[in-house]
Amino acid sequence: MIKKIIFFLPLLLLIAGCDKGIAPINEVEETGFSGTVTFKGTWPADIKRTHIIVFKEPVNLASDFNILNLGYIGKEIPSGVPSDDYNTNQDTSYFKIQPGTYKYIVVAQSSTEKVSLERKDWKVAGIYYSNNNSNTPGTLTISENTMVKGINIICDFDNPPPQPPGGE
Amino acid sequence: MMKILWKLFVLPFFPFLLFAQTYNISGRVGDKNNAALIGVNIVLTDGSSGTASDNTGHYSFNNLKPGEYTLRFSSIGYKSELRKVAISDKDIVLNIVLAEEAVEAGQVVITAGKYEQNMSELSVSASVMPADVLERKNFISLEDAVRYLPGVNMTDDQLSIRGSSGYGRGAGTRVLLAIDGLPFYTGDTGQIIWESIPVTDIERIEVIKGASGSLYGSGAIGGVINIITKKVSDKPVTYIKALAGGYDRPKYKEWDWSGGYRYFNGQVISHSNSIGNFRFTASLTRLEDESYRQSSFYHRYLGYFKGNYSLSPTSSLNFIFNSMNQRNGSFIYWKNSRNALVPPDADQGERIKSNRYMAGIDYKNIISKDFSLNIKAGYYRTYWEDQTESANNSAANVYRGEIQSTLSLNSSIVLVSGVEASLSDVQSNLFGSPASGSFGVYTQGDIHFDIPLLVSAGARFDYNKLDTLNAFSDFSPKLGISYSLSDNLKIRSSIGTGFRAPSLAEAFTSTYSSGITVKPNPNLKPETNTSFEFGFNWNILSSVNLDAAVFQNEYYDYIEPGVDTDGKITFNNVVRARIQGYELNPVFHVMNGLDFTMNYTYLWARDIEKKKALKYRPRHIASASVTYMFNSFETGADFRYWSRVEEIDDELVSLGLVPDGELRDNVYVLDLRAGYDFSKLRLPLKLTLTADNILNYYYVELVGNLAPIRNVTLSAEFVF
Repeated sequence: MIKKIIFFLPLLLLIAGCDKGIAPINEVEETGFSGTVTFKGTWPADIKRTHIIVFKEPVNLASDFNILNLGYIGKEIPSGVPSDDYNTNQDTSYFKIQPGTYKYIVVAQSSTEKVSLERKDWKVAGIYYSNNNSNTPGTLTISENTMVKGINIICDFDNPPPQPPGGE
Repeated sequence: MMKILWKLFVLPFFPFLLFAQTYNISGRVGDKNNAALIGVNIVLTDGSSGTASDNTGHYSFNNLKPGEYTLRFSSIGYKSELRKVAISDKDIVLNIVLAEEAVEAGQVVITAGKYEQNMSELSVSASVMPADVLERKNFISLEDAVRYLPGVNMTDDQLSIRGSSGYGRGAGTRVLLAIDGLPFYTGDTGQIIWESIPVTDIERIEVIKGASGSLYGSGAIGGVINIITKKVSDKPVTYIKALAGGYDRPKYKEWDWSGGYRYFNGQVISHSNSIGNFRFTASLTRLEDESYRQSSFYHRYLGYFKGNYSLSPTSSLNFIFNSMNQRNGSFIYWKNSRNALVPPDADQGERIKSNRYMAGIDYKNIISKDFSLNIKAGYYRTYWEDQTESANNSAANVYRGEIQSTLSLNSSIVLVSGVEASLSDVQSNLFGSPASGSFGVYTQGDIHFDIPLLVSAGARFDYNKLDTLNAFSDFSPKLGISYSLSDNLKIRSSIGTGFRAPSLAEAFTSTYSSGITVKPNPNLKPETNTSFEFGFNWNILSSVNLDAAVFQNEYYDYIEPGVDTDGKITFNNVVRARIQGYELNPVFHVMNGLDFTMNYTYLWARDIEKKKALKYRPRHIASASVTYMFNSFETGADFRYWSRVEEIDDELVSLGLVPDGELRDNVYVLDLRAGYDFSKLRLPLKLTLTADNILNYYYVELVGNLAPIRNVTLSAEFVF
């Protein structure tokens, strides 16, 4: 009996020791925001890519257009579409949106093939405004485990919004 | 002086002035069961030549003039043998049977000092992994093998000896890797391409941990790994290896992205032969791995050729050629912890194509028993392109040359001196088109005294010019001693300085990938270090050996990537670092056929200014290995542990680029292996079965990168 125990003990320990280490973190309630981007007018011909881009602080200087100020870059919106429904949890290209306050949410378009973080490569096509205040960009606060809906942005190509400094 | 000039400039070109009729010594090395012993080091004790037994246990020394010779046969796990032979007017056949003896570390031959010497004579810590260990563990890539070396840890594909390196993707290495003494790192990123070296052609891996800058220059700041390839057999030998295996399915269903097992396979064919004075080995390796991760597969072809042409009794030309052609996926970081084996959506489908070619030539001339000359030249071309949105590509050429002389001034002084130069040029949309050049001159003297003391003193001067960066020079001295307190106890100590020039990639990278922008830094300077160590090797009992060392390395202007104020990644001389620690490496020969080894390294790696741990340095690294051999059967287990690293790239996590990237833990990896050699049954076959990470322990070495899950490999080797 003792011999059997001695023989099988390492085997049992081996089996008991299996599948340890790091494990998936349980999915929590969704955190992020969703809405619709609506495009008006004719799409510019030289546009190569269109994204929703979320900044933590307003872009008051060209240098504010940098990775430390970025909170989120959405998936590429296909050129020519009249509208696009988005959800930051399903459409993230590079950044997972974190809980926090974001003060400048835009739809930006680039004429470069590659994603660039140079301010000069981008034009702002639409800005998120809250409470129908079209003078000041809206502030969006995202709390942990909360999905903010209805963050809609209108891009009017015939009447583009004010551009932050540093563009061409 | 005239005598030295004669040796340097006249005799190398007219060696026939010295010798006439020559003969050979050849034979076979086996164990007590008459099984062939592969990779046994065999040297002529006068230092004029060395070789190793081939896959059938055979060896030979050719073109020896009449006289008396003493041959030393040594191999880890076997008692060394000294045999005297006298050549008069015919060839000598000398067959040897080596008796098992686990503990004889001092007899291992190593080329740390750029010439073959016993490891016990070294003033720096070193270790060796011989070919039989590589074979019995079924390693597919050299990168897998070096994880089992004492004091070494890997973060993804980046090597760290005694904590010398953290992780910088695509950045240069702090460990110099050489193949048969030829440096082997790329011209653009300064990286080691581990997978391009065919494991089956390696005779042994030497690791030199202490001060090495005085001999090896830039790149050796954190140590040296020298790959010694197998000697070329002059008898026709064909070697075939086939392997196949698969990865288990992960425990968590969220991770089971493929819904099935994932497989890999490989084939190696190698042939050695001779035509007149020309001996060669040529091999072709094909490897295919579906990978346990999505978009992490590879298809790889390796070509290898090694030739030896005997020009005269005392001079020879050695050729080496190596190629790698690979197509692989790209897996940089996981999508998140629930999708740990899947890359982010934006990286899906990315592919990388790479072609790498290395060619080297080594002219050796033993001008006399006191003086030999080596002239080496190498060329390494790398090309790769990816299919990311940036369409990155890079073509780099590296040209190297070295002239080295080994001079025995008398029976107690060996002087190794040389000059070395290299040129690199790059064409890349990542790094631009920079070029660099370097020149180094070195000398090191090993002085044996009448008392059992060896003093090793040397220095190296380097001059480097890296494109538009300011040129810089560096002087790296070294002093070391090795002293035998008794037959069983040897102590060693060394102090030296080293430096590392920034790689072209560190200075000139400009790219965007996976949300990260990297910008160049034209003001980058070289980093420097001072290293000190004290160690001893003690044969406590006939069956127990302990090697131990304490060490301290001070790093200045240490180059690390970081996020600049504009949010872009750049390399900077930002860190003043101190790495202290100690190592314990006991070996136990429990009984005939049963051996046990352990390694433990304690690391205290700190950023002195920020007063925190350096990134990706575990404080505790340990490994243990047990091997049992009974007749033709052998089995064993290998265990690796390292403690949870304190610091990682926090920016990648806080910016949300690597979701759940903070996940990491202690690492425990257990591998099992078993093999049977059918040669006693007159079948030229050996079967090896290995099960790696048998506990299916889930761990990361690098943020957002789950290491290989449980996998099983079966290999069959034929030698005829």
